[in-house]
Amino acid sequence: MKQTLIQGGTIHTMDEENRIFQGDVLVENGRVKAVLPSVPHTEDMELIDARGLIVMPGLIDAHSHIGLFDFNHQESVDDANEMTDPVTAAVDARYGVNPSLPEFRAAYERGITTLLLTPGSGNVFCGQAFATKTYGTNIFDMTVKAPCAVKIALGGNPKNTYGKNNRLPMTRMGIANVLWDTFQRAKEYMDLKDKGELKTVDLELEAILPALRKEIPCKIHCTQHDMLTAIEVAKAFDVEFSIEHAWGATTYMDELVESGCHVCYGPIATYRAPGERRKVDIEAVSELDRRGVNVAIVTDSPILGIESLYHHMGEAVREGTDPDRVLRMVTINPARILKVEDRLGSLEPGKEADIILVKGKIGLDTDAQVQLTMMGGKVIYRNN
Amino acid sequence: MYIIKGGTVHIGDKRVEQDCDVLIRGRVIEAVGKNLSRRDAEIIDGRGRHIFPGFIDPTSAIGAMGIPTSYPDINEKSSPVVPEMNIRYAMDPDELDNQEFYKSGITAVALAPGNANVIGGQMAVFKTAPMKLSERLVKEKAGLKGAVTADVLQSYGKRDMMPMTRMGIFHLMDKAIKDALAAEEKDKTQGQRVLSSVMEGKLPFFVSADLKGEIDSLLHLFQGTKARIHLVDGFSFGGCVNQMISQGTGLVLGNVSDLSQITRHGMDLSLIKKLTEAGNPVALTNSHNGSSEGREVLLWSGIELYRAGLDPEEVIKMMSLNPARMLGVDDRLGTIEPGKDADISIFTAHPITTYAAKVEHSFVSGKVVF
Repeated sequence: MKQTLIQGGTIHTMDEENRIFQGDVLVENGRVKAVLPSVPHTEDMELIDARGLIVMPGLIDAHSHIGLFDFNHQESVDDANEMTDPVTAAVDARYGVNPSLPEFRAAYERGITTLLLTPGSGNVFCGQAFATKTYGTNIFDMTVKAPCAVKIALGGNPKNTYGKNNRLPMTRMGIANVLWDTFQRAKEYMDLKDKGELKTVDLELEAILPALRKEIPCKIHCTQHDMLTAIEVAKAFDVEFSIEHAWGATTYMDELVESGCHVCYGPIATYRAPGERRKVDIEAVSELDRRGVNVAIVTDSPILGIESLYHHMGEAVREGTDPDRVLRMVTINPARILKVEDRLGSLEPGKEADIILVKGKIGLDTDAQVQLTMMGGKVIYRNN
Repeated sequence: MYIIKGGTVHIGDKRVEQDCDVLIRGRVIEAVGKNLSRRDAEIIDGRGRHIFPGFIDPTSAIGAMGIPTSYPDINEKSSPVVPEMNIRYAMDPDELDNQEFYKSGITAVALAPGNANVIGGQMAVFKTAPMKLSERLVKEKAGLKGAVTADVLQSYGKRDMMPMTRMGIFHLMDKAIKDALAAEEKDKTQGQRVLSSVMEGKLPFFVSADLKGEIDSLLHLFQGTKARIHLVDGFSFGGCVNQMISQGTGLVLGNVSDLSQITRHGMDLSLIKKLTEAGNPVALTNSHNGSSEGREVLLWSGIELYRAGLDPEEVIKMMSLNPARMLGVDDRLGTIEPGKDADISIFTAHPITTYAAKVEHSFVSGKVVF
């Protein structure tokens, strides 16, 4: 029974009380065993000196396409968008991932230990997203949970995919129509299945059932007024959902709060232009958080480099969000969206020992540096 | 008339003055020093604040795209060599204003043609705050923009036109220059006069180059000439540092966050120190591949350099004095010094060392815009 003691750090628990204190973290068999002001150490424990460092759970980027897009060559690879039909709910992002890409390493070197990898937004029903650890060689072994969400997209992306071929959906009307129709068919399918009257299996509709049963959320790519369509449809079918990207959230603040949705805000680095880019307002995360919405900050990596997670957090801080609240937006909050908060997202006994030691505070100090990344109790990175 | 009192003033050339006042009269900075007072000046409290010269993006696409459109105004793709094009005619004040650049401390941008052409046209420097077009134009024909990247091949190769390869790109660039130099003065076309001016070292040439081979080829083509070459994007600069130093080549580092450039190129940003120590001009831009992103990313790139070990004031210089010099507008922009334009940002803290740094006030041409 191997025990590791992380001693003398400033612990940011990310638990319900958001406790911050000087103390020790005891790790045993890959899990957090104790988080206390002081844990007596015994001779057989491996010691990690955390004095002068922040000790916190590994970071989670709840909207990423790392491994699915590959920009490392002259010709870029897109295994994120199966743009052959507006409804490809059944395609599974795990099968699109190349786990050897350098972005995974860049992620855990920056303390990002879990990613929600999702199909892109070229379709209305884009496919199945999953949660994965960032360290490993086989994506199926790295997987934390699959499926983790049904990925849906509204707005310009599906419009442009199918509009250019004169196919439904060419318009926002068309997208709403595909949404209503598909959810309705999935619901009828579920009712038949529950009654034992199902004749044939439909994999597309099968993939939507876990969302209708509230086992997993829908992650809905939308911005500006598309958020209202997303809220209306999601509520009609009583699914748990997160609004992804959420540009323009300040305009629809009341509707978002009232809907009970999660929000995955980001990325923000875009020029402003009429249409979906007209309002980019990361200042929204502060009010969403204050009004009880579960908010995560996300990068869309590798569209933006994974290192930009820090910058996105920083922009929220710049706009007035408390840095300690922002840390929650990349740890426990996304863990809740992924429904893995029983395993990840905070330093509490029983949780997986995905722990980072950081010099400085990420999202506040621009030079904050991860000194050590531990995953499942094993040290996978040290900054030398 | 304004006096910003008692701030930490970052001059822009790496000097920092504590408890320093800045006097603004009309369009310009009149004085910088301690205990300045003028009877009729409005006092702005700068205590505890960091005062910076307006930042400059030397190669911006946004502001000249003409969105929404199928044919962005930055790319005259009818021919791969169009030095005679002038970006001034594509400048869209509303598109520029929509960016609210000054909220990130950026008070001037050089609009530049995109990456579709080997030689895309001439650049122009504009203030980012809303004002009359004649007042916001700082300088036209401030530089020539070119590109030797895959984008050029995308534009022409697919149409079965040269350039289909990088051989073609450099052949066209070489030929255009040789033709320009060979032509009799009286017979020179407008474009040939522009290219001659580049070869005389009068007009700087900003060239997008990304891969090592592209940079090596570009440097080779201009070796031993008087042309002042500035790489744009230049993500593979790390492998070309010695050659760049020997030729005095500048670097306008592209948006490193876009499409994971740091990871893709395994970039060691600390190598930029070698360039700055050798006196090569280095600046930062919001753009990559001839396309701009949001106003935030200029600071992000600066922060990545700071994380790589560069001095924060060196980074500030890359966002102020260096780009002003590269564009030949340092007589008006780039530092907080008497006689220069009053383009000044008052930050609540140092934006390179902490994220909790926000622009509280922005002056552009002596007017409070924010």
